[in-house]
Amino acid sequence: MTRGPSDSGPQGAAALRGSMDATTAPHRIPPQMPQYGEANHIFELMQNMLEQLLIHQPKDPIPFMIDHLQRDNDYVPKIVILGPPASGKTTIAMWLAKHLSTNLLSVESLIAKEYSPLAADARMHYQKFKMVPDMLLIRLMQERLKEEDCVRRGWILDGIPETREQALTIQTLGISPRHVIVLSAPDTVLIERNLGKRIDPQTGEIYHTTFDWPPESEIQNRLMVPAGIFEGETARKLLEYHRNIVRILPSYPKILKVISADQPCVDVFYQALTYVQTSHRSNAPFTPRVLLCGPVGSGKSLQAALLAQKYGLINVCCGQLLKEAVADKSKYSDLIQPFFEKEIAVPDNIIMKVLKQRLDQQDCVERGWVLHGFPRDLDQAHLMDNLGYKPNRVFFLNVPFDSVIERLSLRRTDPITGERYHLMYKPPPTIEVQARLLQNPKDSEEQIKLKMDLFYRNSAELEQFYGDAITLNGDQDPYTVFEYIESGIINRLPKKVP
Amino acid sequence: MEARSSRELQARNYLEKHRIMDLLTYLTSALLFFRPERPREYLISILERLRIARLSGVALPFFMDNSNIASMFEMLDSSNKGSISFVQYKEALKTLGLCTAEEVLKDDGHGVTFDKFRNEVKTTGTIDTSKRISPLCDTAVLGQTLPVLKEATVWGR
Repeated sequence: MTRGPSDSGPQGAAALRGSMDATTAPHRIPPQMPQYGEANHIFELMQNMLEQLLIHQPKDPIPFMIDHLQRDNDYVPKIVILGPPASGKTTIAMWLAKHLSTNLLSVESLIAKEYSPLAADARMHYQKFKMVPDMLLIRLMQERLKEEDCVRRGWILDGIPETREQALTIQTLGISPRHVIVLSAPDTVLIERNLGKRIDPQTGEIYHTTFDWPPESEIQNRLMVPAGIFEGETARKLLEYHRNIVRILPSYPKILKVISADQPCVDVFYQALTYVQTSHRSNAPFTPRVLLCGPVGSGKSLQAALLAQKYGLINVCCGQLLKEAVADKSKYSDLIQPFFEKEIAVPDNIIMKVLKQRLDQQDCVERGWVLHGFPRDLDQAHLMDNLGYKPNRVFFLNVPFDSVIERLSLRRTDPITGERYHLMYKPPPTIEVQARLLQNPKDSEEQIKLKMDLFYRNSAELEQFYGDAITLNGDQDPYTVFEYIESGIINRLPKKVP
Repeated sequence: MEARSSRELQARNYLEKHRIMDLLTYLTSALLFFRPERPREYLISILERLRIARLSGVALPFFMDNSNIASMFEMLDSSNKGSISFVQYKEALKTLGLCTAEEVLKDDGHGVTFDKFRNEVKTTGTIDTSKRISPLCDTAVLGQTLPVLKEATVWGR
C-alpha cells in the first residue's frame, strides 16, 4: 500500500507532526469526512456491530463481523406488543406484520410449530395446565428467532414476555427489541369489549360484534365464540395482567410507547405504525449545519442569533459577510464595492468566494454554522452544493405578507443613540426619542413587497432542491419558533412516507 | 459506585482480549479516509483480508514498511545517537502491539540500534498472528492520527 492514512498529504502530515504534542496542534479534519460519516450512518453501523459483538462474544470476532455485515439487518423490525386481554393486541400485531412484511410470533404460533420436540412438549403442557412453562417458551422463542426468515426480515412478538422473569431471560439471551408498544384501556371497556369477541377459525383473525364486523356473510357464518370471554374470566385475566405488566415495563425504559386502545382500531394501528418507523435518537456526534430560508422579515437573523448563542454555532449572515468584506478592505472589497455603490446584487461567484473563505475557517468546521441570506435561488443553491457545503438541516420560515409588513414597516432607528426600536414590539421610552426616530428607506412598503415577490418566485425551486427541508410557521413569537427549530435539529430527519 | 457486575467485567475482558476497540477504530478511520461508495462491502473486504492473513500467517497486508519503521525509530531516538534504550524499545513494541506487558525481553546491555529494531519489528510482526492482532501494527502509525480524529469528533448525523 503506497498511500495510506498515515501519509495523507499536507493535512495528514500536519496532523502527524501535530500529534507529537497532540493537545496543542489544531485538528484539521477535512469536511468531507464528517459529511461522509453522516450520510452513511457510520456511527450507527459501528455501534450495532459492537453491540452484537458484546452480546454474542464470539471466540473469533472477525468471521462473526463479516457475517454480521453481510446480513445487513440493522434496521429490520424488532417489535414487542404488550397489552391486556381484549385490547386488540393480536389484531394490531397482525396488521403490522402484514404492513412491514415481517414475522409474527405469539404463544399460540410458537407452540403450534411442527417438527420441533420442544413445541410438542409445550403442546402437551398447554393441554394439561393451560399454560406453557417459562423456560420452555423462551427456548421455543430462541429457536424460532434463530431461523433465517426472522434474522432477515425481523419479528414482532405478540404478548411475549408475559412476566418479568420471561422479560429478564429474554434480555440475558441477547434478544432485545427496538420498539415496545403497550396498549392500555380502562378495565370496564375491556370487559365489555371482550364479550363481543369472535374468531374466524380459518384465518385466525379476530372480529367483534360491534366494532369490527366482517362485511362478507360467509365469514359471518363461520365465526365462533372463543372460550374465556365472559366477565369473570376476563376480570381474572386482567388482574393477572396488571400484576405482571408493572414489573415488565421497567425493562424497556427508552423504547416504550403506551398507546390508548380505547379508540378505533385503525387509529391505534396508525399510531403504532408511525412509532415503529421512527428511529430513536442516536448517539452519533453531530455538527449542525443549518440553513434558514424565508422572506425578508421572517425572523431568520433573530433565530440564527439565538441558535448561535445557545449551541455555539457560527452565525453566518450573507449580507453581513459582504459588508464586512468591504469594510475590512480585504481583497474582495474592490470587487464588491462597485456593486454596493450601484445597489445591484453582487454576482454569485463573488459571494461564493467570500462565503467559502468564511465557512472553511476552523471555527465553522468544528462548531457548525447557521447560514441565512444565501442561497436565494436555484443557481446559488447548486453552486453551494457543488463546492461541497451541504447543510444537514434546512428550515423554511413561512410568514404571511401582512405580518412581514407589520414587523418591518414599523422599525425605527434613533439617530442619536443608534438604538433600534419597533413601534409595536419595542416602543421608544419617551416622546422626545419618538419624535426624532427615523425609518430606514429599505423598510418602506414598496421595497418590502419587491423583496418578498423575489423570494416567492424562487422559493418553490429551493424547496424542491432541499427535499428534506422543514417548513415552519414563522408567524409566532420568536421563542416558539426557536423551539420548533431546535426540535427539528435535534431529532432525526423524518423519513418521507412513500 | 456499586461494584461492576460480572457480566460487565466479562464484556470488558472480551473487548480487551480481542482488541476490539482498536479494530473498530481502525475500520472507522479507514472508512472515513477512503470514503468508499459502499461502506459495508468495503468493511467486508478489509475483514476478509485480515482473516486470511491470520489464517495463513503470511506477511500481513498492512504491515509497516521501511519508511514507517524508520520514522518511528527517529521519533524515539530524538538525540540522534543511533540507538535507543531498552526501555524505549520495549515501549515501542508495546505501542505497536507486538509484545504484551508481561512478556520479558532480553536486555543485552547495549542500546538497540536501528537495524536491530527494524529486524525485530519485522520478525515479531509476522510470527504468531494467531496470538496477536498484529495486522493492527499499522494502526500504531495510524494511531498517531487516531487521537486526532477521535478528539475532534467532527462528524455529522
